[in-house]
Amino acid sequence: MLTQIFFDGFRVKDFFVHRTAGSLIAPFVTLICVLLAGVGSARAANTAQVEVGFVGVPPTNFQNVLLNVQSVRINRNAAVGPANGGWETIPVPPGIGNSPQNADLQIDLNTSQNLPQLFNTADVRPDTYEIAEVQLDPNNPGTLIPDCPLAPPLSATADGCINYPIQLAAGTNVISVSNTGPGGLIAPEKGKLVELFLQVSMMINKAPTTAGGAYTVTIKLASPPTNPVQLGTVTGSVSGSPTAPTTRVQPLTVTAEAIGTNTPIATAPVQNGKFNLALPAAGGPTGAYGFGTLYDLALVGGADTYQAARLPPLYPGQSLSQNFTPKVGQTLGYITGTISDNCVATKPVVGATLQLLIPPDDITPTPPATPATFCIDSPEQCIAVATANTDDAGNFPLPGTLAIPAAFDNVPVLPKKAAYAMEITAPGYDPLFVQAIPSSGKTGGTCTTSATGATFDACDLALNTGYISGTIPITPPNPGQTTLVQVFAEDHGTNNIESALPMPLAVTNSHVGSCPGPPPHSCVSFTLNVPTSDVVPSGFDLFATTIDLYQGVTDPFQGHTIAVLADVPASAKPSAPGVCSPPTTATFPIDQTIDCVGHGSVTGGPSGVANANLGTSVVLSKDNVLITNAPVQNVTTENPNNSYAFCAPADTYNLQRLQLPVPTFSVVPSSAPTPVLDTNTVTVTIPPPPPAGGPSSAPTPGIKCPTTCEYPDGTCPGICNDVIKPIPE
Amino acid sequence: MASRAMRCLVRILSMSALGAALAFSVAACNNQTGFSGSVGNTPNGPALASYEILGTVGTPFTATVSDARSSWTLQGNVPLSIVICNNVLPARIIATKTTSNSNLLSLEAIIGTRVADLQSTSASFGTVSVQVGGTLNSIASPASPDLRIFVAGPADQRYNALVEDITTGWVISSRAPNLILFDSPDGKVDATLFGAPAFPTFTVNMTLDGAVVAAVVHGPNATIREP
Repeated sequence: MLTQIFFDGFRVKDFFVHRTAGSLIAPFVTLICVLLAGVGSARAANTAQVEVGFVGVPPTNFQNVLLNVQSVRINRNAAVGPANGGWETIPVPPGIGNSPQNADLQIDLNTSQNLPQLFNTADVRPDTYEIAEVQLDPNNPGTLIPDCPLAPPLSATADGCINYPIQLAAGTNVISVSNTGPGGLIAPEKGKLVELFLQVSMMINKAPTTAGGAYTVTIKLASPPTNPVQLGTVTGSVSGSPTAPTTRVQPLTVTAEAIGTNTPIATAPVQNGKFNLALPAAGGPTGAYGFGTLYDLALVGGADTYQAARLPPLYPGQSLSQNFTPKVGQTLGYITGTISDNCVATKPVVGATLQLLIPPDDITPTPPATPATFCIDSPEQCIAVATANTDDAGNFPLPGTLAIPAAFDNVPVLPKKAAYAMEITAPGYDPLFVQAIPSSGKTGGTCTTSATGATFDACDLALNTGYISGTIPITPPNPGQTTLVQVFAEDHGTNNIESALPMPLAVTNSHVGSCPGPPPHSCVSFTLNVPTSDVVPSGFDLFATTIDLYQGVTDPFQGHTIAVLADVPASAKPSAPGVCSPPTTATFPIDQTIDCVGHGSVTGGPSGVANANLGTSVVLSKDNVLITNAPVQNVTTENPNNSYAFCAPADTYNLQRLQLPVPTFSVVPSSAPTPVLDTNTVTVTIPPPPPAGGPSSAPTPGIKCPTTCEYPDGTCPGICNDVIKPIPE
Repeated sequence: MASRAMRCLVRILSMSALGAALAFSVAACNNQTGFSGSVGNTPNGPALASYEILGTVGTPFTATVSDARSSWTLQGNVPLSIVICNNVLPARIIATKTTSNSNLLSLEAIIGTRVADLQSTSASFGTVSVQVGGTLNSIASPASPDLRIFVAGPADQRYNALVEDITTGWVISSRAPNLILFDSPDGKVDATLFGAPAFPTFTVNMTLDGAVVAAVVHGPNATIREP
């Protein structure tokens, strides 16, 4: 008997479940014993730390040079085989991979030219290590996305802005570097942090000879990198003895965050009252020491009070010192609750981000202001010390583990029922600032319902939102094909994107709207969740892109024109809970029709971006709507070419320099600097690719249609074009 | 006596090896055959693909998941594992990062323990897409019923689960947070989640067409049933 009828009529195959549970107990116990045994022995012996990072030396003329890394491992003996038991593995970080390994960390050698990309930090045995290996995914070691070709010959395999797999010439997915001299590659000591930076160079051996074929490449490792590593250190002490980590108390750590964000860059444990962080530091040709990178520090855990600091710029090869004096032995409490939509009753806000903010240690708010009210009034001057997210029912926080409780389940209770400032954000919603008091009982803490509220209640909060509804003209795809359209809204005149559609719009030949015009045309309708005029009084700029396939496989860049519409007003906030304001209207003009045009690229060429530094990027815009930006690469090497590259559909665009101000030496900024858009623009037109395939003869034979899309006559865009456009100062 | 002890030792070792091999095979299979292939006489289910949305922890995203029959739209934060029970390949997932920063969003399609397709973005509101099992030219119509099981925690802990309707069961090896989507269930759905003996508490809820219909907080095992 496999099924059982319950009294409520619900049938389940109960025997099936119980039998399954029973059969799984034995292997589970064995497996867990094996795993715990390994963990225990490793932890007992591993008392040094290794921080691994990558520095990229990519081949030129590629939009992206992507490697799929599974792990890095080191051994004290360069001559040992792969099965040797002495390998120490530094896995991909939590959130990307876990044991058993079945996920990759994709690194882009292009974006790690200027600054090293941190991989992970792990405990290892104190020893001298002679060899390091990078293990790439054996099934899919990486991907190359070339820019469009500059000149003939244009074969069927020459198209750019699409994915090409790579194949390693050495025939193995393992790349290694060794040093058998005294000191080896690294020699981590007990209780200390050592950096292992691996310079990853890729050379092209052979371009593909068949459509969809692989590039044959050689990848080499070097350590230390041939160029000076753009790295600085932050060290310091923490007074008092923290509560030892238990199932309820997370360990005491110091986390470096990108200034003004809750994005962790690196985390260090506090050991014997000290911590040591190695962090990317922007150097380059700027000033005496380089450009400088700005960080916030957050001291969290160990039942200590939260502490935070904002640092002056960190330069390559330099060290900053920051000491903390927290109060220890604090009572820990919870902040739990739900986040919902203030416009649609009972609709949960899924994936909202909640942050507890505190002022840096050197800021003492003047009474009657409190740290909480200070951070609500000036959030840009405060630092995130705890972060949580909502689940699919709008509840927060997501559960942690026994060893590492969720940050919001481990909040130090402040004396005299003092509150923290809490910021709640979600795309398409107004950010909400409230005061929150953690509870050490089972109530889950209390919150105000607004920034100015004084009454504390359960932390069940609602976010305001508004709507934009509109239409976008589109040429319907040929029968049997689908075009997916995504719409974005950004603050007017900026590249600060606020919202996107939760689901792309699917347009087929038979499923497309009709707009009256004039002239009448095919169009697609959308409604977009956006913040209200309270938060974005200047309104929004909208742009719509497509998500395409290229000959049936996923295409990293779109082949349809990007439709834009500037200066769409924001709607007012809900007049009462559950009472939405009417949406504002956004009708894209007919000259913004989404059409199949094919890929294209624009690159800086040998001149690149004049006088660029590590705060320079280039913005691509169309009809005064900023679409995307790209940082200037290869700025810090001995022979910088200050390159940039965009893959964009064939069309006319404007290019502008976006410049982050240079941080002032040894000055602690009050907030994160804002980049400034250069008023000088450079116009570039990327010509459409010649048509290929279809019933008529094609200039690029051998190409199967559809490529990134298809024209109404059955032909499709052929090999795309690259345009070189240097950016003068 | 020594011989008896040796036989006992050999028996223990061989049972342990068998148990470990079985455990690893269960953990690794990700239901390539459907659980019904080894228990009972229900037919094998089609191969399951799973999806990992990874990158900088906490990065918010919106995603659309579609197989050849149904589609689902969801919001969440990195990391999130997604499995479609009773899927009909090919399948495609499209994710858009919903924050203006350089955080990494990585979308990976997994078959067994192999990364079958992978795309990443660090662009503001960057969009990535992967597909598996062939070309899916069109996003299918929204799932009806739209049944989802969200395993919120414990974070980053691997577990196995049996998810079934009245005709077919599916064994899933995944880690929380994990969203289990059930495509076109035959009757009501239940799920039993198996943690190891020292496993912390599962936090699970089941939604049907957007409304939470069941919620369970239990460990080291937990069962959730559609009411």
